[in-house]
Amino acid sequence: MGRVSGLVMQLGENTQPHVTHILVGGPTLWERVHPALARLSIRLAKLWGPKRDEPVKIPWSRVITVGKDVKLDVKAKDTGALDWEIWVARHIIERIPGGGSEEEE
Amino acid sequence: MKKILQLTLGIITSVGGFLEIGSVTTSVQAGAQFGYKLLWPIFFGTICLVFLIEMSGRLAAVSKHTIVDAMRERFGFPFFFMVLVGITIVAFLVLIAELGGIGFALQILTGIGFPWWALPVSLAVWLLMWKGSFSLIENGASFLGLITISFVVAAIKLHPDWSGVASGLLPRMPQTDKARYGFLTVSILGATISPYLMYFYSSGAIEEKWDRSYIMMNRIIAGFGMFFGGFLAMAVLIAAALALQPRGIQVDTFPQAALLMTTALPKWGFYFFAFSMLFACFGAALEFSLAIAYFFAQGFGWSWSEDLEPSKDSRFAFVYTLIILLAAVPLMLHVDPVQVTMISMALTSATLPLAIVPFLFLMNDPIYLDKHRNGWLSNSIVMIVIVISFVLAIISIPLQLIGG
Amino acid sequence: MDVNVELLLGRKVVDVNGDKVGRIEELRAEEDGDRCRVEAYLVGTSALVERLSAWTLVRPIKRTLRSRHVYSVFEVPWQEMDLSDPKKPKLRVAKGDLRHAR
Repeated sequence: MGRVSGLVMQLGENTQPHVTHILVGGPTLWERVHPALARLSIRLAKLWGPKRDEPVKIPWSRVITVGKDVKLDVKAKDTGALDWEIWVARHIIERIPGGGSEEEE
Repeated sequence: MKKILQLTLGIITSVGGFLEIGSVTTSVQAGAQFGYKLLWPIFFGTICLVFLIEMSGRLAAVSKHTIVDAMRERFGFPFFFMVLVGITIVAFLVLIAELGGIGFALQILTGIGFPWWALPVSLAVWLLMWKGSFSLIENGASFLGLITISFVVAAIKLHPDWSGVASGLLPRMPQTDKARYGFLTVSILGATISPYLMYFYSSGAIEEKWDRSYIMMNRIIAGFGMFFGGFLAMAVLIAAALALQPRGIQVDTFPQAALLMTTALPKWGFYFFAFSMLFACFGAALEFSLAIAYFFAQGFGWSWSEDLEPSKDSRFAFVYTLIILLAAVPLMLHVDPVQVTMISMALTSATLPLAIVPFLFLMNDPIYLDKHRNGWLSNSIVMIVIVISFVLAIISIPLQLIGG
Repeated sequence: MDVNVELLLGRKVVDVNGDKVGRIEELRAEEDGDRCRVEAYLVGTSALVERLSAWTLVRPIKRTLRSRHVYSVFEVPWQEMDLSDPKKPKLRVAKGDLRHAR
């Protein structure tokens, strides 16, 4: 459903920090290359594509295993990680003959 | 038994790699000017490629991840993005050249200029990716690509001096035209050791759902596939050496290259040449478009597969659609595909280290390969390729300017 | 306070006396049922290696460099790290009290 682009950690005053969320996609990815790219990606996302304010955050409680791949106990569609995929499917791909439909039969 | 049919993955990978317009152009020029003396870069490049392709397949079969998956996961997004930009730019140029090659083939068959063919050809390639499954593409392109065996027939019919051929397999500097010789050596090595073949092959292995049981078969497919292509490229060079060198013909234009076939096969040679280029460049166009789309999709974590209908992997489909249509544009504007070919080959060489160096790390990573990591031989080959790739990277652009 | 982990990676760390220690390279975490607790931070001392590994290409080589003592990595338990300002991580102990990572 995507790739881990970051992790959110909760810090306490004197409590042990813990990782609370996994981030998928979003400007966090571009941040690591160059902050200007992150700003650019935010601006482009405002212009077209699915309207998302926040990067996709998945609570750690939904993580089943972490190995070569991270397995989650959620439906990809419910997380918002596939918002872009669905947007491109609806607005571009399905308009071309033979593209099919992303709805399940 | 079914596994042996997977040979087609090896064939399409190598046909698209060895017989695309860049390789054919350089092989013909090499044969026409230097006879058999430039067989050794093809031979040497083929051997390197056999190892690199075997490793690409092994990585996919054992870890169920492609090279690009592993590169993103182990080296992080910033590195992946840098390689993505480099790879996309160069592969896009190659794609333009391949579409041009198809256009040239149609031009010599019909008399209609290649700019007119650019868009229809691009749409044809697109349609196959849009509607076709991976097996269809793989088997179809391989099967049609078999027509290139006519190059071997032509070479044999011209009665090569086999001892001359054998000595051509070892490197030896010529007395004259050293810069040109160097330039062609670099071009051939750069055209042969192409990282795109590795990306395509490892993606193909995943498309075909290879697992550890394919490890042995992967060696056979990689070896057979790459030698098939290398063999054909050598046949082109030999045919050019015999048909063109004695007459002192320097190949400047695409139609002239057809002479290498018509000399041996006067009646059908022309058609064999045209259709061979047509199908080989078509296969290469598919391979490169998909390689770019695979690179995006795998690195970003999108769904991807030729077996899915486009709406189920919409971002992947969008990338290959955009890229193949954009590639037609320069051709419609009369940009010369041969020039684009030369530039793209020099750039491929210049960016080769970017692809091979991380590959060395990946092939020794226990997380991905556990006990199937590289042995000393494979690692040595990769390190030799890395050294070559740095040498090529440094000298390819200057050489292109001097000897091109 | 919530913080993005990747913004911590690569940050310079000073000890309780203000002496430079190195940069945060990795976090060691333990899964505990539903939660993922951060146990320790790995702080590396070579700026050059750190700079290169900001691109994470060098990570596999680092292990070799470490075993040959070309550069060292400290393991800082979570209690000894003060992240009240995540942009300026500080240790609660002195550099000399730190333990080397294995």
